[in-house]
Amino acid sequence: MADLANILAVGILLGGTYALVSVGLNLIFGVIRVVNFAQGEFVMLGMYGAYAAYAVLGLDPAVALLVVLPALFVLGAALQRLVLARLRTEPTMQIFATFGLLMLIENAVLAATRGTAYSVPSAVAQASLSVGGVQVGASRLLALAAATLAAAGLGLFLRRTMLGRAIRAVAQDSAAARLMGVDVERIYWLTFGIGTALAGLAGCLLAPIYSLSPQIGTSFILPAFAVVVLGGLGSVLGAYVGGFIVGLTEAFAGYYLDPALKHAVLFAVFIGVLIVRPSGLFGQVGAEEVGLREQS
Amino acid sequence: MSNPEMAIPITRAPPVAAATAARAPLRTFWGELPRALLLLAGLAALVYAASGDNFSLNILASSFLFAGLASAWNIIGGFGGQFSLAHSVFFAVGAYTTANLYLKLGLSPWLGLVPAFLLAAAVAMLVSWPVFRLRGPFFAIATMAFTEVALAIGNYAEWLTGGTRGLSIPFRLGVGNMIFRDRMSYALLMLGFCALTLIVVVAVHRSRLGYYLQAVRDNEQAARASGVSVLRVKLTGMAISAGLTGIGGGLFFMQVRVADPAALLSLFDFGVKFALIALIGGLGSVYGPVLGALVIIPLESWLRAELGGLLPGANLIVLSLLLIGAALFMKHGIVGLGRGLAARVAAGRSTGDRA
Repeated sequence: MADLANILAVGILLGGTYALVSVGLNLIFGVIRVVNFAQGEFVMLGMYGAYAAYAVLGLDPAVALLVVLPALFVLGAALQRLVLARLRTEPTMQIFATFGLLMLIENAVLAATRGTAYSVPSAVAQASLSVGGVQVGASRLLALAAATLAAAGLGLFLRRTMLGRAIRAVAQDSAAARLMGVDVERIYWLTFGIGTALAGLAGCLLAPIYSLSPQIGTSFILPAFAVVVLGGLGSVLGAYVGGFIVGLTEAFAGYYLDPALKHAVLFAVFIGVLIVRPSGLFGQVGAEEVGLREQS
Repeated sequence: MSNPEMAIPITRAPPVAAATAARAPLRTFWGELPRALLLLAGLAALVYAASGDNFSLNILASSFLFAGLASAWNIIGGFGGQFSLAHSVFFAVGAYTTANLYLKLGLSPWLGLVPAFLLAAAVAMLVSWPVFRLRGPFFAIATMAFTEVALAIGNYAEWLTGGTRGLSIPFRLGVGNMIFRDRMSYALLMLGFCALTLIVVVAVHRSRLGYYLQAVRDNEQAARASGVSVLRVKLTGMAISAGLTGIGGGLFFMQVRVADPAALLSLFDFGVKFALIALIGGLGSVYGPVLGALVIIPLESWLRAELGGLLPGANLIVLSLLLIGAALFMKHGIVGLGRGLAARVAAGRSTGDRA
């Protein structure tokens, strides 16, 4: 019974991490209809940003957010304007371009750090709580809380504010939104910026948990795709719930099967869902095809 | 798109191409074959010119291998428009099939290439059958996930792959063992692979299957409405593409003689590089991937030699910039550039005639 509680705890905490990483990816997909293969790299940049803020200014990762988030917002907005905006109607070239960004960012960081592994100390990271006999790391708990807040905040922003409504209008029908006077291009780069800033948030909060390496971004992107596909393309709630499904699947597969096979199980489930219900649990049916129809 | 060779996904063929297509009669396999053989003869001349120079021969061998692999990818990725990131899986299947048959049963690698082809094709059909209903990026994500599953299984199945320690083949010289001392033999071996792939590509491109694949890529609904069995066409294209990739995997393993699953299933080194080379050369064109490999592989090994010691990952930085640049500004690759240039020269000449 204690085992089960432990696995549940591990799964839910891991789920919080995945949810946090995936929210931005899903926002970008839902609005701009770009599958951003480089999203994991923005998480990685967030982690290194947190490290830089610690090494240079002595800031705690939780404070480094104030610097890292705006920086990643600007980077994302710039990439959307300079690169992806030119490839609006070309899904194949979008894959090439975002995969190129993935390679570029990963190897640029590798070249800059020469492959040294860093770790970021945090006041919160060392602490752990005991809940009903289950050890829970404070950093994971923080990531879980941040994922919840980010998903809720983003949901409110999209529903309640004028800008959020404009973003949703573009997501639903960019041509109609343009006719209603929405500056669609501006919405695109704003959305991409928000998406990358959310990845930066994930990076900062996860920095104390992981040992930093340039390759860590790629280890996030596939679980994040799994989350997005499971939860539903373009749905914020879907990304949040999907995170827990993926986290729990991984935790249970790691415990009851071989830990070495947990990824195989996870992706088998992922591919299964992709086939049976490509729109995900919370996505609109047909989104996987509508998403690719050219919008202009 | 009257000229299928120019039909690169989504983008419109330049008007000059349509004009030349109207003039040129439809080329058959036998009509196209001399051009392919001429290119291959040129490559053989390169090997001859480089004889004695082991460094150049190594680069040539690697270029030919990747020319074949990118051409194989191009069958389903370029002609068929299905962006597969799972080709490193088929590559690894071929590598382990050939290696294990040789190590465990003593089967000569030359014969082992046949089951490598068959098994890679079978695995490809099995895994892509369910995901072929997905399009574009979703197909890419699903196939990328397959790579991850294969890596987990590869590391787990130690009896087959040697696990994370890798599998190695003892150095026993002999033509029957496909193990040579001189680099020339490897360059010729890979040239043979490149030739095989190129001829298959020409045959596919000029066949009913080739036209069906391009029809499916350009407009799946229209193709289906015209009576094309979309799934069967995609599966056949995938099987040929993956089978050839499997042969390439077998040859690669016999050349390096030691590899672990992480190396064989690496997206940067194989999975994506096939696509990258095809894009740089000319996506969906017959000779583009070969030209792309002849540019990218030497460039990469030069970069690695020049910059690798100074900056780790510098070669991949340059490759990624090329990739982004090509996606933005050179969507038709080297072949497209050449065509544009030829069209401009032709246009200049015809206006000159009129004057």
